[in-house]
Amino acid sequence: MSNQQTEKVVEQKVEKSPSGLSIFWKEVMRDKLALVSLVFLVLISLVVYGVSILLNQEEIVRVDPFAIYEPPSEEFILGSDQGGRDIFGQLIIGTRNSLSVGILVTLISGFVGIVFGVVSGYFGGHVDNVMMRIVDFFMVLPNIMIIIVFVTIVPKYSVLTFSLVMAAFLWMGIARLIRSRALQEKELDYVQASRTLGSSHTKIIFTQVLPNIMSLIVVTMTLNLAANIGIESGLSFLGFGFPQDTPSLGTLLSYATNPTTLEQRWWIWVPAAILILVLMLAVRNVGEALKRAADARQRRAS
Amino acid sequence: MALLKVDDLKIHFPIHGGILNRKIDEVKAVDGVSFEVREGETYGLVGESGSGKTTTGKAVMGLNNITDGDIYFEDSHLNAKKGKKIDVRNDIQMIFQDPYSSLNPRKRVIDIVAEPIRNYEKLSKDDEKKRVQELLERVGISSDSIMKYPHEFSGGQRQRIGVARAIALNPKLIIADEPVSALDVSVQAQVLNFLQDIQKEMDLTLFFIAHDLGVIKHMCDRIGIMYQGRLVEEGLTEEIFNNPQHIYTKRLVAAIPDVDPRNREKHREFRSQIKEEYQQSFYDYFNEEGLAFNLKQITDTHKVALPERG
Repeated sequence: MSNQQTEKVVEQKVEKSPSGLSIFWKEVMRDKLALVSLVFLVLISLVVYGVSILLNQEEIVRVDPFAIYEPPSEEFILGSDQGGRDIFGQLIIGTRNSLSVGILVTLISGFVGIVFGVVSGYFGGHVDNVMMRIVDFFMVLPNIMIIIVFVTIVPKYSVLTFSLVMAAFLWMGIARLIRSRALQEKELDYVQASRTLGSSHTKIIFTQVLPNIMSLIVVTMTLNLAANIGIESGLSFLGFGFPQDTPSLGTLLSYATNPTTLEQRWWIWVPAAILILVLMLAVRNVGEALKRAADARQRRAS
Repeated sequence: MALLKVDDLKIHFPIHGGILNRKIDEVKAVDGVSFEVREGETYGLVGESGSGKTTTGKAVMGLNNITDGDIYFEDSHLNAKKGKKIDVRNDIQMIFQDPYSSLNPRKRVIDIVAEPIRNYEKLSKDDEKKRVQELLERVGISSDSIMKYPHEFSGGQRQRIGVARAIALNPKLIIADEPVSALDVSVQAQVLNFLQDIQKEMDLTLFFIAHDLGVIKHMCDRIGIMYQGRLVEEGLTEEIFNNPQHIYTKRLVAAIPDVDPRNREKHREFRSQIKEEYQQSFYDYFNEEGLAFNLKQITDTHKVALPERG
């Protein structure tokens, strides 16, 4: 009985100090603007991904000659476009596509960039030299132009292929950033200490280097997400993103290139424009809050 | 018997430059250093900053590339060519200079101390936790704090966590790279005495690198004095402090402050006298490049770098 009790006391005494992640989280939670943005983002994604399951894309993009340019009504909540297609449905599916591309591009380019950057920075020397020249090569390519060329060459593309093409030319920035941090990190005593304790290079990268640049990774990836949504919309707006039967926020916005639509049929493009603006702002807000949370100097006193 | 034998160790760092980034010059951080560390003793390596003492320590640890020379531990050749390399990491461990940067700020104490155990021994979670708690108790840190982060400890406590990590594998040799120079003077003695206790308890050999002569005098059995990547004098602690032969050593020893204020005038005079001697006889003790000569045996235990002369 008494033994059990002492054990209990010991258990209680070994309390955990808050981990870095929980401090990070608390900091973000305290930022009201970021919190609102985050809730908004979560809501939008839930609605968009939830409702788009219920919607039938083929039905929405089917041309209906009897319902051209309908203003918002009970049948079409947000009216219809020049093909008689429901704008609301297109908006939902378009947001889903734009978000998916944004997230996928961020993840793929982030993954490639992190692997490249950490390996290059950690091993240094000739490895670093060769790998950074490859990065330089990709950097001098005119990204947007090459993405456009690829998009026109690839015959049939889905969200995945489009994301791959975009990611292939957008990973260099993060690779450079991560490399510079890894270069600093590997000189630190605790990385050397880890060597003397017999840890392998892979283990050191995963247990010593990566955790310390994790905040940087999270912050850059979030900010990249906003940028990538913007790039996708821009490409689709120019007509080099998704084709007309795969709506995205950009294709909706591109209807506004028609002067009559721009002036008189606001219901076609205004919702998409507002969504792009609000989405990017919200993601940025969250990203900035993460950045502040990661940097102790910008953190407010608790 | 020598536990660690360093033979004519040379570590040169290349300086790259020019158009093709070729090697244009090199820094001779360590240039022909030989010494032995005997089992059970504390060997001290002293020198001013930049004299190559830390580089020597790190070379033994395998953290630096060795340009030339050999390092033997027991009977194994440490810097043999790849493939023949023997892993002696569980026999040689290191205590780092800066307790603030040698512990990963993102890891809990249990993960820091258990790292070597996880690398070399397979223990269950509970056994591992018990081992870590034992180790922490041993270095005088409450075993309740295993879930804390390094920043929650003071400098002295952090250094002791570093020691706990170093002794986790029961090593034979510990390289202590200026283990107290980053610490408060009030904590230095505490950590030093504690290191001596651990040494006695575990039958350790210490290779002690420092620039503080007081610390060295307190800790070491034998001392080697380094200057510009070369040893200038080596001998028993008493020999070095009471009978320094090399002018550089003389000046170092003269620089130790005297606590007694009544001796202040006398001590200052003595220092300026040594300074004068140093300036006058510099070229008797150093070659034209300003480097020390090769060591010459003057007694059984005492070696001094003196020029080849009749």
